[in-house]
Amino acid sequence: MVEPGILIMCILVPLLGSFLLPLLGRISAATRNVAALVFVLFSLVASGLMLPGVINGSPMRFYMDLPLGLSIGFLADGLAVFMAMTASLVAAIIVFYSFGYMEHYDNQNEYYLMVVLFIGAMMGLVYSTNLIFIYMFWEISAICCWRLIGFYRTEQVVLRANKAFLITVGGALLMLVGFIAIYIQTGTFDLLELQGRGLDGWILILILFGILSKSATLPLHSWLPDAGVAPSPVTSLLHAAVLVKIGVYVFARLFLLNFQLEVAWQTTIPIIAAVSALVSAGAAIVENDIKRVIAYSTISQLAFILLGLSCGNMIGAAGGLMYILMHSLAKAGLFLCAGIVEHSTHTKDIREMGGLAQRLPITAVAFALCAFSVAGIPPFGGFFAKYLVIAGAYETGYPWLAGVFIIGAVMTVIYLMRVFVKVFFGELTHPDLKEGSWEMIVAVALLGILSLVIGIFINVPSGLINLIVDSIGRW
Amino acid sequence: MLDLIASFISSGLGVNLLYTMIVIPSVLALLVLLMPKAKVSFRNLLFLLALLLNAALSLGLLKLDDMKLYLPWAGGEMGINFALRVYNFSQQIIVIAAFVALLVGLFALSYLRKKSYSSAFLFYYLITVALVNGSLLANNLVVMLFFWEALLAVLFGMLILENRNDTRAAVKALVLNGIADLLLMLGIIITCSLAGTPLMSEMRPIPLEGVAVLGFICMMLGALGKAGAMPFHSWIPDAAKDAPLPFMAIMPGALEKLLGTYLMVRTCFDFYQLAPGSSMSTLIMVIGAVTLVLGGAMALIQKEMKKLLSFHAISQVGYIVLAVGTALPVGYVGALFHMVNNALFKSSLFLSAGAIESRTGTTDLREISGLGRFMPLTAISTILCALSIAGMPPFNGFFSKELIFDAALETGMVFYIAALVGAFMTAASFLKLCHAAFFGPVKLPEGINREELKDAPGAMLLPMLALAGTCLLFGVYNKLPLSYIQALFGSFTAGSDFSGWPHSMTLVLISLAVLLVAVLNHLIGYHVTGQGVKAVDHIHYAPGLRTLYDAAEKHYFDPYRIFMAVVRLYSWICLAIDRGISWIYDVLFVNIVGFVSSVLHVFNNGSTRLYMAWAFSGVIFLILLSMLLR
Repeated sequence: MVEPGILIMCILVPLLGSFLLPLLGRISAATRNVAALVFVLFSLVASGLMLPGVINGSPMRFYMDLPLGLSIGFLADGLAVFMAMTASLVAAIIVFYSFGYMEHYDNQNEYYLMVVLFIGAMMGLVYSTNLIFIYMFWEISAICCWRLIGFYRTEQVVLRANKAFLITVGGALLMLVGFIAIYIQTGTFDLLELQGRGLDGWILILILFGILSKSATLPLHSWLPDAGVAPSPVTSLLHAAVLVKIGVYVFARLFLLNFQLEVAWQTTIPIIAAVSALVSAGAAIVENDIKRVIAYSTISQLAFILLGLSCGNMIGAAGGLMYILMHSLAKAGLFLCAGIVEHSTHTKDIREMGGLAQRLPITAVAFALCAFSVAGIPPFGGFFAKYLVIAGAYETGYPWLAGVFIIGAVMTVIYLMRVFVKVFFGELTHPDLKEGSWEMIVAVALLGILSLVIGIFINVPSGLINLIVDSIGRW
Repeated sequence: MLDLIASFISSGLGVNLLYTMIVIPSVLALLVLLMPKAKVSFRNLLFLLALLLNAALSLGLLKLDDMKLYLPWAGGEMGINFALRVYNFSQQIIVIAAFVALLVGLFALSYLRKKSYSSAFLFYYLITVALVNGSLLANNLVVMLFFWEALLAVLFGMLILENRNDTRAAVKALVLNGIADLLLMLGIIITCSLAGTPLMSEMRPIPLEGVAVLGFICMMLGALGKAGAMPFHSWIPDAAKDAPLPFMAIMPGALEKLLGTYLMVRTCFDFYQLAPGSSMSTLIMVIGAVTLVLGGAMALIQKEMKKLLSFHAISQVGYIVLAVGTALPVGYVGALFHMVNNALFKSSLFLSAGAIESRTGTTDLREISGLGRFMPLTAISTILCALSIAGMPPFNGFFSKELIFDAALETGMVFYIAALVGAFMTAASFLKLCHAAFFGPVKLPEGINREELKDAPGAMLLPMLALAGTCLLFGVYNKLPLSYIQALFGSFTAGSDFSGWPHSMTLVLISLAVLLVAVLNHLIGYHVTGQGVKAVDHIHYAPGLRTLYDAAEKHYFDPYRIFMAVVRLYSWICLAIDRGISWIYDVLFVNIVGFVSSVLHVFNNGSTRLYMAWAFSGVIFLILLSMLLR
């Protein structure tokens, strides 16, 4: 039991540590903040330590039987470590940013509790090999997200939080029915025992409800733009590091590595993704609330990820996984930049902003770097992800599918540049602005630079991604 | 010296140094950007050093035979390996690019002296050089796309430097080029899939049938977009208004044309089998002909020098596209020769505009005239380049245009006529430009003192004159470029020699007649209006044409404008769909739940009688159920 200790710790430290934070907050705010960051960084480091096992082909595993034929199991395979590192890296940067952003708000104890618990739930979900535990962590994340979206507690904000909670939990309950149906058919919730099986169509549909509601895909997406009422680091966390990535991660876990996806679904899911990508991209072009524009962008980009993962070939799968990483980094950066802008101008309406690059130069550059990455323009990392996903779509034998996503990519360029130019160029609207606090600046600059550096040294993430894709036996 | 560089590169260590062509400019670019403001002269030195090194290395590459570099990058299933290759085609274009970049860079240092954004511009400039080298050296199509598309970010960066309040031109450039690049991405995906490899050196020409047609069209649209052909052209005149002139000289003037032509020729010749007379060939020729005639027609009426030149930057691409589209040996050779020539005279002409702007503060031909006596060397350089672009013998433009005329005539009379119409408009507009700017009575903008007006500084004149001189050299001694170009096509062009005086005297006479008509037209126009700048007003304001020109000047025909209108309409529909879905959750669901609970509320009002009735009917229901089940 010594060996998998690090795996268990990786999950338990943020999960249980989060409950210490309010206590530490009573001692001093600084201690609490540092502890929160340490807990998240711990997950990052622990996940990194499990990487050699993945590369050697002997991933770390923990397994225990429970009564009633149930079991608890965690596995640190390539996919899990990849997702855990992505999520905890971005989350750590967001927590660091929060030090500056949240400084003047009440209820910070609850804030850090929920954020770190959220990440703990993410870690648990990522490493779980058991459907029931996946569901459990899934719902913990829903509760955290509900409290965090409703952080400001005004009536409208609480309504929006309820909406997000109800839609995602509604989807999750349908997914749970699907999981139970799998149990009834096979007698186990353990994914490793279920490897290589097919799934009945109706069970797949139930599970898809859960995944698509969590990953905000049309028509289950409408809670995500509304969730922009949350504090910016929270939106960033939801969009980039944890919440919406849960859906696509579980999709990858279940349908890349475990269940066989019927050929019919390899076109149906891409079509759902295509509609979601195009409609949300269109909405992003005419929306005027900066956070809503970026939220629609998330919906649109998630569709690219879903496309890559569902198109049934190695290139697409590799692209989808790489997209998860690149989108996490860049989208976190965009939201954090939007947070700085909102924090200093006290508005979210891009029509009331202009020329801010003169006052917020570093934010402007970071926003540009992240926007280029999301738009898939090289040398930023998003380029490779976009190329691979569209190449994967082409390989399905439907060139039009690739064409549709090319249109989606063009629209991405249009809406991101529209926001960038409206906010940072033109007549200066707020002459007496100052840059955000140093923590905020460092966080956004780091995300922008990471998006660039990972694009140039693409061999680093692609090594791991190749390992994951190679482990998918059936192609 | 060159042999030394070549032997260094070809040594065992040197193979890995192929990417120095990419790394050196990038690293020096970062140093230039980070250099403190106080060290301006050191920064400039570093910048020049980077360009000189780049030029020296490019000459070193010229001495090499076919050489490849292969590094795993995002390898594995994804097939994105960092494969570079230097061979005769890429060598030649890199040399041209490096020399134009060096000369324009020298000019830029002088031009940017008083600009606040000079460090950023020089940074972007060196990055551009690195990316262009990368695009030309790449032997993996995906790697080529990586460098190629990365130019988008740099292009956008350069365009927002001067005017930070109006970024419409920058966004337009980004969107139009972005569309072209994304189409190229699709084209590359299809091409790699059909060829079974992303390595360009392993590809064999694919016959144009089935999905290959789509792949071919996407590749060509990507190349046309970079070159600035229609319908991706309309950002260039808009950008000309505010962009720094060295940018216009290097990007739309030279490097983008080099890249676009390179990919066009490789697509038609190396990746796909474009047959003369095929429908695809005709399609490309039509795009070329339309671009050259409409670009020329718009250039004809411009009275602003930068705008006039940028319409010619579009029009000259038309010639290149037309020539490539013929898929004939003479067409390919003519296209590549014209590409080289265009890079020389077009960048020099933009630099002339820069010299005039830096001395008089304007390039509006209505506000300046008679500058020749103050700026004689600028005038000479401009006139030499104007003669080249107009196709006057013995300048280089004459020889490349004759090759293109030859190719066009062989394919169809209509294309030949289009090319001649373009030649007429080119000649007429440059007669107007040179006449208005350098001759006639002296006219200067307010605040410019006659006595203080001098010719441009040496650092500006040197690049301009060097480029203009090369135009003359490549005309008189056209064997030099043409022998290199012809060698690229191997047996395809064997048996014919395209250098020296054109083969068909009839074609030469027709071309000269067209030039003569342009001169006569200018003289008539000048006679009527009495002003050089108004010499083509009789065409501009001719009945019918006037309406068309007015509409064109108001951007009614701008593909970008039409595209964005469609996008906006589509987006509003999407927003409505999204709001509709939101309404289902926010209103419909809430109301349904509210209605159901209010109905249930009626039956739960606390009345004992009602609850008794509930219990009673429940019992009856159970009894009935059990009776039924029995």
